[in-house]
Amino acid sequence: MTNEKKLELIEETFDVEPGTLAPETELESIEEWGSLTKLSLIVMLDDECGKTINNDIIRSLKTVQDIMDLMEQ
Amino acid sequence: MIDMLDLNDKHILVTGASSGIGKETAILLSKLGARVSLVARREDALKETVSVMEGDGHHWYSCDVSDAENISGLVSAIAGESGAVDGFIHCAGIGVNLPVSVTRTDTIDSVMKTNFYSFAEFIRLLSKKKNSNAGASFVGVSSVASLKGDKSQGAYAASKAAMNAYIHPAAKELSARGIRVNTVAFGMIKTEAYERFLEAGGQDTALQDQYLGYGEPVDAANLLVFMVSSASRLITGTTVVCDGGYIS
Repeated sequence: MTNEKKLELIEETFDVEPGTLAPETELESIEEWGSLTKLSLIVMLDDECGKTINNDIIRSLKTVQDIMDLMEQ
Repeated sequence: MIDMLDLNDKHILVTGASSGIGKETAILLSKLGARVSLVARREDALKETVSVMEGDGHHWYSCDVSDAENISGLVSAIAGESGAVDGFIHCAGIGVNLPVSVTRTDTIDSVMKTNFYSFAEFIRLLSKKKNSNAGASFVGVSSVASLKGDKSQGAYAASKAAMNAYIHPAAKELSARGIRVNTVAFGMIKTEAYERFLEAGGQDTALQDQYLGYGEPVDAANLLVFMVSSASRLITGTTVVCDGGYIS
């Protein structure tokens, strides 16, 4: 999956305008980074990447790049 | 003079818009200045509805919403053509009258697909910022059967009760964008579906309890229009009853 596609999926999950997020964007700086978005992220990673993640992994995420790295594995 | 129900240039999506409550609602919305996106299965009936609407900016879409897979493309097309919605009124639905002794799960599944799954899928898609404006109002047409079901209404009552339950979490989640989510539980309204029910031998036992008499489609449309207007801006996460006294 290309980085562009990953960013597109993450922006869709966060329900933010295309082009809003960059790999270095800190998650805590994103208004939409709340409990509902975290649940949506879990579903997206499962649907799109077949990856199951737990709350410990969610808590360890700091930047958009961290999510993109998860999508790679 | 003020106009409490001014919907000038608001974009409202109405499903089941080719007949009955949906058709009446689409027409009334147009008279109040709204731009309406109409959805139903029957193309000829949609065209007929649009032909009697007032104003411009109305578009119709022939789509079977009982198949949830159709809805994503439909919502994209609507948002692309008319922009994000300010209101959503889900009138699409079917009625089934079967005793519980012969109500199989495939029948329940079929009713749920049309009445409830489609509602949930529209809400999922319309919750996205690209598809709805902040402060939008989503309304599902429910039924008093969900609160006080009569004989043979098991599958139908369950599907409408599912809608009533779904709006509670939906209203809380979407409140961050000022979006309201409600259902309206109607009593007996004299639509084509009601006439078909009688022609098929259905037993009409509700009039005794619905002591204000049966409603006309315009009675339902009046409330639905109010629900998508700013006049109802403090109403969310609830089922509004409009039943001529049926469940009182």
